[in-house]
Amino acid sequence: MKPPEKRMKIEEMEPFSWEVIPVLSDEKSQDVDLLPAYAAPIFNKKETSRLVKEVAGVYPLKCLQHLKRVRPCKEKSSTHPLEILLCLVSDVREAHETKIIPSLSVLFNGSFDFSGLGEPFLVKVPAHPPLTRPQFEEAKCHWPTSFHEDKQITEAIAGQLFSKEEKVKMHMHMGLAIEAAKAGAGIGMEAVGAAVVQPNINEVLAVGHDCRNGINPLLHAVMVCIDLVASGQGGGVYSYRDHPACSFIPSETYRPAVSSSYSAGNSGSAEAEENGVCYICTGYDLFVTREPCVMCAMALVHSRIERVFYGTSSPDGALGTKYKIHTKKDLNHHYKVYKGIREKDCLELLKYN
Amino acid sequence: MEDGNRKDETFRPTSEQIERWMHRAFEMAKEALKNGEVPVGCLMVYENMILGQGRNEVNETKNATRHAEMVAIDQVLAWCRLNERDWHDVVKRTVLYVTVEPCIMCAAALRLLNIPLVVYGCQNDRFGGCGSVLSIPSDDLSNTGKPFQCISGYRHEEAVEMLKTFYRQENPNVPKSKARKKENISI
Repeated sequence: MKPPEKRMKIEEMEPFSWEVIPVLSDEKSQDVDLLPAYAAPIFNKKETSRLVKEVAGVYPLKCLQHLKRVRPCKEKSSTHPLEILLCLVSDVREAHETKIIPSLSVLFNGSFDFSGLGEPFLVKVPAHPPLTRPQFEEAKCHWPTSFHEDKQITEAIAGQLFSKEEKVKMHMHMGLAIEAAKAGAGIGMEAVGAAVVQPNINEVLAVGHDCRNGINPLLHAVMVCIDLVASGQGGGVYSYRDHPACSFIPSETYRPAVSSSYSAGNSGSAEAEENGVCYICTGYDLFVTREPCVMCAMALVHSRIERVFYGTSSPDGALGTKYKIHTKKDLNHHYKVYKGIREKDCLELLKYN
Repeated sequence: MEDGNRKDETFRPTSEQIERWMHRAFEMAKEALKNGEVPVGCLMVYENMILGQGRNEVNETKNATRHAEMVAIDQVLAWCRLNERDWHDVVKRTVLYVTVEPCIMCAAALRLLNIPLVVYGCQNDRFGGCGSVLSIPSDDLSNTGKPFQCISGYRHEEAVEMLKTFYRQENPNVPKSKARKKENISI
């Protein structure tokens, strides 16, 4: 297989007509959930630290550690400088039922000196710590929230995760998948193609297309590629003699790989390299023209894939549409998923079927 | 296209049949355990004939998708080719008997093939696709074959015990440093 980057210059590629969109877990992509809570004005700033201590003693808000206890008052003309979060509405049974805002003495049962504190009022607070910058921006409109930013996610959402060079490579690799899809369609298969790449050395290990209309209806493009990689490692199950567009390179030719500078968080491949073995698809990237089904998505979990890039969504897709198998907490391996790579070209493939 | 009613009446194996085929699946699982393999036994039975039986072949093939069910499915398809039978007709009257709940991948594969019924022993808490982690047989997936029925719980303690015995051993093919570390949840 030819190293694809030699065929095209970066300058010719710009600007790209497609965007890389990360497919995030539900927790990371959902809107901010809000919970009703009581807050109270602090009239005397000097009492703040004492009040925080006293209030937290009664209502520690253990599940809401992301919330700051005190916020500056939003209205400039206000008579009080600060506001303190007291407790959730659900912490106070009677209030929950009657919808009457309880007094301080009801809330605290006279357990401490309320001087400096005003009458409680209702606020809404974010129920969960924000995981992404958009969630943080929304959350802090309601109540100040701490935010431990994951730079990678922020960049991903802002479309800045990949450099121009990386996008050129993606364009090439998806190009191989698209070509394979067309070749498959030419012999009566569904027009779906895929390629497996070892990212740190930019080596294409396998290219394949959907073979489901052949001897085995389960030979979707992803399953074909997984088996082609296995063939490259001296294993494999199926013969692709009749499918010249399905190919692999033997693992001896791409081993040993040295640097893993391509991407942070590529620990899988680094580990595999340290051990001097390739273990199934550990550390590899998959490019596939359309979103994998649930069988293929789970096959990629079993194969320890590192990242998946797909072109278009599928109606029963398992990496964003119907499920997000790659972020499922109960499973023992997780991978990153990006969609939208050459979306238009991948969409064109649907015409073949 | 067959209508759903006719399909239902055809594919309810008798309890004697279940007893008989599950016993056989358990014998296979025990055999696998003895040989250091993942102790899962499975059979695919069509009109009282075993068309496929498989065991996990992940290590030999270096292909992590070679679960017992996938191996057995290949045998069923090969039988169809050999006997010049349309696999669609055969598979829709084939029952899978397996000692452990199929994983998400295998459950989806069974659905894609339109297998009508799966009988299994114990749950698969790690990967189970028939209720434990996801519910592939009954989920709304109109482009992924047809829903299928499950009968579960047959000799489940025994199946769990075999799995536990197996998982106490280590998989020598997994890179060392990866062993059960807390993994980062990917984005």
